[in-house]
Amino acid sequence: MITFKQYLRQSATCKIFNAFYKQFVDFVSTLGAIVANGFTTLKYICLGHIDRKELMDQCVRFGISSLPITLSIVGMTSIIVTSQVASEMVKQGGGNFVGLLVSILIVREVGAVMSGFAIISMIGSSLASELATMRVTEQIDAITVLKVNPIRYLFVPRVLSGIIMMPILVIIASAFGVLTGAVTTAMTTELGYRAYFDSAWLGIYMKDLGVCLLKSVAFGGTIALVSCSCGYEASGGAKGVGLATNKAVVWSLVAIVIWDLIFSITFFF
Amino acid sequence: MSIIVNNLTKIFDEKKVLDDISFKVADGETLAVVGFSGSGKSTVLKLICGLLEKDEGEIITSEGDIAMVFQYSALFDSLDVADNISFALRERRDLRNKYTEKELKEIVTQKLGLVGLSGIERKFPSELSGGMQKRVSFARAIVTEPKTILYDEPTAGLDPISSTLIEDYIVRLQQETNASSIVVTHQMSTITRTANRLIMLYNGKIVFEGTPEEMLRADTPYTKQFVTASLEGPMQMIS
Repeated sequence: MITFKQYLRQSATCKIFNAFYKQFVDFVSTLGAIVANGFTTLKYICLGHIDRKELMDQCVRFGISSLPITLSIVGMTSIIVTSQVASEMVKQGGGNFVGLLVSILIVREVGAVMSGFAIISMIGSSLASELATMRVTEQIDAITVLKVNPIRYLFVPRVLSGIIMMPILVIIASAFGVLTGAVTTAMTTELGYRAYFDSAWLGIYMKDLGVCLLKSVAFGGTIALVSCSCGYEASGGAKGVGLATNKAVVWSLVAIVIWDLIFSITFFF
Repeated sequence: MSIIVNNLTKIFDEKKVLDDISFKVADGETLAVVGFSGSGKSTVLKLICGLLEKDEGEIITSEGDIAMVFQYSALFDSLDVADNISFALRERRDLRNKYTEKELKEIVTQKLGLVGLSGIERKFPSELSGGMQKRVSFARAIVTEPKTILYDEPTAGLDPISSTLIEDYIVRLQQETNASSIVVTHQMSTITRTANRLIMLYNGKIVFEGTPEEMLRADTPYTKQFVTASLEGPMQMIS
């Protein structure tokens, strides 16, 4: 009597199904690990088991080291969008709305999403590879044997730093995006800064700012949690570290797009 | 008895890595677990310290901490030597806030002195040789004054002189702490210099149990093959 798993492994005709089965099992186990680690992290945060020194270190890592790349990406996206839209809008007689369009775009979408992409590339990948290396070099096993909970020690400061620093980063990046939009508009059209900012303020509502902050909290926590979880569950040697980092980046990207969709449907439909 | 293992079985991917093994370690005794690579030696340690879940059997340990020295030291590379050693005292819930910074510093200095490495508190693991890393991991292991210390191939990757030094420290730590120890190894010198008793594993089963002297004298095909490091014999390496 062979098991279903053995049958899938032996049967040549079932290779494609076998590949799908492996992908499905990997998907379910990754999702399960993220959810389980997320609940445990949340429990420790709620209980106040927070190492303040480690939290500060992670906040510096999350916020300061990723700021240049975040500003670059959001700023350049703003320049790309504004340079294409501003002159066309001025030609069509809509010059007074350039600031409004750019500010809505930056505050509602580009600021948070592009910052999220920057954070995934800068911080998410580094968190995943750090924890995966700790896993394959038995450092996480050593933490466990020393009777320290690895989730409390490793996840809590990292996830909390994501939750705290992401909104700050998004506010700075969005402000920078609106400013670069103003400079681009002034350089590519005859519109002045005054006209740009007069309309820009009209496009920003408190609801937009609130949703933007909420979204950035969700993005920051999710990126840190997914990245830590993928690294934590790594196995094997150098290949395992690479796979974990790759998985963290892919899952984080998909997760923030799903979050973005949920926020758009909830608040702007 | 410090550790009692009864009918322990561990299965990985439908393969029995440990098949119904039983042994005991007395208080203050050092037991060597020997065998070829892949014979399940490290699995025994990971089951005892709770890193792996057993499939069948029971493991009874006496009160007190179990410490483990990992094969490649497993020092935290983002922390310096002092923070590595004091890690459990700073982070463990029942020990946090128990010691002042001054006391922690004294404990670190004392433990580093025990392994002959005074004055390297502020160095990072990457700045140390393999032998020094191993000794720092010894100091980290004994910081909570454990009742049982598990060594996973403590001399792996070290030159003969460093290996001898490490073996000396295993004996010295056993005398200082009076802890029971299990040393997983496949090096004859480690067995003869550190262990009171040994068990030999092959194919997940214990094929020999006795003292190092008895192993050297024994006329069984398993011990003969192991002692002479021969390719001919009942134990076949999995290629």
